[in-house]
Amino acid sequence: MMIPVRCFTCGKVIGEHWEEYQARLDDGEDPAEVLDDLGVTRHCCRRMFVSHKDLVDVVSPYQ
Amino acid sequence: MVADFEVEFIERDDRNARFLVRGASPAFANGIRRAMIADVPTFSIDTVRFVENSSVMFDEMIGLRLGLVPLTTPLDDFEVGETVTLALDVEGPGTAYSGDIETSDDLVEPADDNIPIIELKEQQRIELEADAVLDTGREHAKHQGGVAVGYRHLQRVEVVGDAGEFDEGEPNILRGVIETEDGELVATDEFDHDLAERYPGKELAVHDVPGAFVFHVETDGSFSVEELVTRAAESIGARAAELETKVAV
Repeated sequence: MMIPVRCFTCGKVIGEHWEEYQARLDDGEDPAEVLDDLGVTRHCCRRMFVSHKDLVDVVSPYQ
Repeated sequence: MVADFEVEFIERDDRNARFLVRGASPAFANGIRRAMIADVPTFSIDTVRFVENSSVMFDEMIGLRLGLVPLTTPLDDFEVGETVTLALDVEGPGTAYSGDIETSDDLVEPADDNIPIIELKEQQRIELEADAVLDTGREHAKHQGGVAVGYRHLQRVEVVGDAGEFDEGEPNILRGVIETEDGELVATDEFDHDLAERYPGKELAVHDVPGAFVFHVETDGSFSVEELVTRAAESIGARAAELETKVAV
């Protein structure tokens, strides 16, 4: 639903980078380069971004 | 066994560091690692009282997210088990961030200000009061101060000769920190983790340096790396002292 606060595997705080990651992807940047730039280097943390889908907009009409 | 450890920093940042320890046994290196993970306490939200939650997430889900937000932890001022009250009151439309959390004690506040807690739409509101408690990683993983704490052997790379003239230039991947023949410490990311890049056309011998460990320590922002490592070492010392008094006749 929302990006998890921490990486499931290592526990690094990753939630704070989500909005910037999303905005820069919309600008057409390469995801790998954005993640390197954000300091998300381990593949456990990187999959948190690559595999995430925000669902708040999908479920909010059914409240 | 009384000997000093030789400690040398390779990378040093507030939240991220790599350092070499010489003269430690594998058991002691692992003891330090485990103490950093399980024995150094940090503040984390433990109890939440909801006044209003009309967001798309259940109370429990928000409670879980709040618990994972790292809080700054001045260990000199608090004892394990002490609590600090925090509050969050945000009305939609907009996102509630960790930076919106109000604290009753300025020493304990969210370490990062822009972690999204919950996105709120029109007419949605969240109001809650929470108690953060100081406890150890042994009790719950959310109290772990260290993130991905680990160590590797220091590896010594020696040039033993030239590679054969017609040998294929295969990559020789190695990760961690190497010690060259001149005793220089080089992190392998400086040459893309490929020894063939640093020593082209050479035949190499790589072996572990006994008793030398390269620690990689990252904290979640609760405190600095120095604080984490010294507290971990202190906790081992305190336990050794406790054992000494308990077995004394």
